[in-house]
Amino acid sequence: MRQKLLNGTPHCVMLLMAVLLALGVGTQVPTPPPVLAQASKYKEAPMLAALVKAGKLPPVAQRLPEDPLVVDTIEGIGQYGGVWRRGFLGPGDFNNYHRIVYDALVRYSPDGTKVEPKYAASVTPSKDFTMWTVRLRKGAKWSDGSPFTADDIMFWYNDVLLSKDLTPALPVWMKNHDGSPVAVQRVDDITVRWTYKDPSTTFMMELANKDSGDRQNACFLPSRYLKQFHTKYADKAKLDQMVAAAKFKTWVELFNARAQPPENPERPVMSAWVPATRISDQLFVLRRNPYYVGVDKAGNQLPYIDTVQFKFFADIQSLNLAAIAGQLDEQERHIVLGNYPVLKEHEKDGKYRVILWQGFGGADADVTFNETYTKDPDLGRLLQNRDFRIAMSYAINRNQIKESAFLGLGEARQPVAAPWSPYYPGNLYARKYTEYRPDEANRILDRIGLDKKDGEGFRLFPGGNRRVTIELSVVPAFGPWPDVAQLIAKDWERVGIKIIVQVRDRALHFQMRQSNDLQAEIWNQDTAGFPFTGTPKYDPRTILYGTITIGPLWKQWYDTGGKEGAEPPAPVKRLVELIDRAKTADPKEQARDAQEIFKIWVDNVFEIGTIGLTPMDQGVVVVNAHMHNVPTKLGKDWPLRTPGNARTEQFYYK
Amino acid sequence: MLRVLFQRLLLLPILLAVFSIAVFALVQAPPGGFLTSYVSMLASSGSSISEEQVEALRRQFGLDQPFHVRYFRWVQNLARGDLGLSLEYQRPNVELIHQYLLLTVLLALFSFVLTWAIAIPAGIYSATHPRSWVDYALTVMNYIGVAIPNFMLALVLMWIAFSRFGISVTGLFSPEYVQAPWTLGRVTDLLTHIWLPTIVLGIAGTARLTRVMRANLLDELHKPYVVTARAKGLSEWRLVLKYPVRVAINPLVSTIGWYLPQLFSGSLIVATVMNLPNIGPLLLRALVQQDTYLAGSVLMIYCFFTVIGTLISDLLLAWVDPRIRMER
Repeated sequence: MRQKLLNGTPHCVMLLMAVLLALGVGTQVPTPPPVLAQASKYKEAPMLAALVKAGKLPPVAQRLPEDPLVVDTIEGIGQYGGVWRRGFLGPGDFNNYHRIVYDALVRYSPDGTKVEPKYAASVTPSKDFTMWTVRLRKGAKWSDGSPFTADDIMFWYNDVLLSKDLTPALPVWMKNHDGSPVAVQRVDDITVRWTYKDPSTTFMMELANKDSGDRQNACFLPSRYLKQFHTKYADKAKLDQMVAAAKFKTWVELFNARAQPPENPERPVMSAWVPATRISDQLFVLRRNPYYVGVDKAGNQLPYIDTVQFKFFADIQSLNLAAIAGQLDEQERHIVLGNYPVLKEHEKDGKYRVILWQGFGGADADVTFNETYTKDPDLGRLLQNRDFRIAMSYAINRNQIKESAFLGLGEARQPVAAPWSPYYPGNLYARKYTEYRPDEANRILDRIGLDKKDGEGFRLFPGGNRRVTIELSVVPAFGPWPDVAQLIAKDWERVGIKIIVQVRDRALHFQMRQSNDLQAEIWNQDTAGFPFTGTPKYDPRTILYGTITIGPLWKQWYDTGGKEGAEPPAPVKRLVELIDRAKTADPKEQARDAQEIFKIWVDNVFEIGTIGLTPMDQGVVVVNAHMHNVPTKLGKDWPLRTPGNARTEQFYYK
Repeated sequence: MLRVLFQRLLLLPILLAVFSIAVFALVQAPPGGFLTSYVSMLASSGSSISEEQVEALRRQFGLDQPFHVRYFRWVQNLARGDLGLSLEYQRPNVELIHQYLLLTVLLALFSFVLTWAIAIPAGIYSATHPRSWVDYALTVMNYIGVAIPNFMLALVLMWIAFSRFGISVTGLFSPEYVQAPWTLGRVTDLLTHIWLPTIVLGIAGTARLTRVMRANLLDELHKPYVVTARAKGLSEWRLVLKYPVRVAINPLVSTIGWYLPQLFSGSLIVATVMNLPNIGPLLLRALVQQDTYLAGSVLMIYCFFTVIGTLISDLLLAWVDPRIRMER
């Protein structure tokens, strides 16, 4: 079994990917779309052909845009039909839906290193990266058959983004450096131009995530449909009546609920499947979109699969049991890494196969010390000491963690981007301080003044007889973190540092992060592939609940413009500088900036990485034995909307 | 009698008002609030939202208001029968509870019928044939039935069903019937799924009731009126069913009222494990997510049923037992 696991990620493949990437780096420049073999002959699903025959639907050629999206199939041309059964955990699990449909103008490639056109035909930057021209596919239509045009983007910009009611605070990507909103103009029916005051080289990456994920508005909205809920366009009496009928208090609440596809089957979408029920129902069903803009190379309109069916599970283990029983057709979300051996064992029943998708970088469990901890000044000072952190990193036996908590998957590393990323800072940094050297750790600890021990062999704070005790807070959220915490605690006690592992509820843990009450914690570093967009954990200004920050008071210092909190040290200030600069730098410089960020991160041991590049979070994939075109290698991360970046519309059954 | 009823009905709103404060305070008690749980849930699904959006949501949901303001707003709506809006589902709570209530009641009814249909004959048989091997066998089974936690039994049965027969018996419907309107097909589908949860939910109750029935009946069987009747030549089974059973069953009848709240709360863990679409998991999830108004509403319904159930059981007792009826 062990041998088999290790073979799952052959190094030659990683190397090949790295080489390929080095040749094709550049997230900015859209690649030319694959060419269609016979543009004149489009084919469609039998169920749609029947509707066309019955006169209920226009012919396929009229439903597709003039220049449809041509999707590369992974194994080959597929067949129509079938139901894709998936499990979900209720309405809070709405990102399960967003990951399947990936409803965006542009999207990440399967390996996660490029951004490709989807509903947009092209996205072109000006030479200085201040102007971005988005051209939509001419003749593309929403799932209700209404035209998809520049007006749908302008409606989002003028009536949603610039409406103080609907968007109380501008998102970072739509803000110029001086705080003013980025200008968006309509050029013609299908062309829209974004104009930044400073160069913006992360535009494509941002655009690839504007898909209404996280319940936020996508940057293109079905304006014809949504105007009935917008105070600017709707009849006031009628709108008030609708608000009251839905039990909402304001039109804003109504608008936000109606604009969310998983909550409203009536809202037209552009994606391959359209919700037919609501996510708060027992069974959340999506049906094929007869107007989907995508075709395969042979001219078959996509998607191949007729229906996607999300079954509600109240409990994550009963979802896993359903997967083991072969009742889920492609499922990676909520599959627990610890169940991998059982899944493998039942693979022989012939109902499914198991695929592993590796993490996109970073570490899947790492320790962060709160460097602005103030409740205990002695401890706070110690946690700020870089040498102390280096010693603690040396004192961890990562091999043992890998074998017992990660089933031998992944590798010991610091939380930096993956080797196949243009941002990779090199092996030296990925592995820095990760060797198991307890003797060296002891030497360092002695040197920094922790050389006195009590009767039980635990180190004392200098100039007193108080034991150095650190509380390690851990949330049983994704993976085997509580186990990792126990193993680390044992390792650290071996070099004389007393650790108390506290397993806490998520909400309580987050609350304590906010109130600067955590001393140390375990979380993951899954933003390594995307340090400039979204909410990267490397940015000390990112929010406290939701992401790790190494110093809550540093964040406060940035938030209040230096009035409150604690002034961060030079390396942290440098991180902020690099992140801001990279957003306006050209791709090559951007990669250099990213590498420098990672080098600073590792040199200062802001986080202590343990094991990374594992399939821990949503990387253990159960696939029906009859389902095809599911890639065996795939970049796995939230910004990629995995498995959305595998192009789910070309999955099919044979 | 009428006065007692009147007094009880007057007390009802006061009780519920006290309960509502307790419920609201309890639901709010855990650290953090809905948004903390919401954002932390996003974080563990690999995504996150910005702080400004969290603030906007806080205002939108009215979570920036102090405790008493939110309580009074909630309780005012409650008095008007408006259970409010679920924060997580963004749907009216009435709609959500309604969706789960029918199946909750149905499942409870099934296990109730099963419990009584097994427990009473078994109890009678045990009492009339004490120290027979059947009595011993029933006794052992009863002890096991009471001792095994429901959810454990559910897990074991689920695993046996899967490993032996390759079927996963979670939920109450096959996928094609989950959302379907009520047709004969859907009813049949429900019947093929409902038996396992019915057994799991009914087993502990059956064991307990059998013991109660047996003990009560044993007390009666040796009383003089039974001996007299037997001496007069009444056939044995007619004799037992006609007199002592009626007396012995009284305590069972008078606890029917308690069954009402149990319908809802008793099945929480089993329903979660077996993935049953009843109200238990809805409450659990609302509590975990700190979906204040939903959790509060479900708990208030529990309280309401408890109060009503106790009332019913008091009335039943009074009706059944003349000694209670005559008391002043």
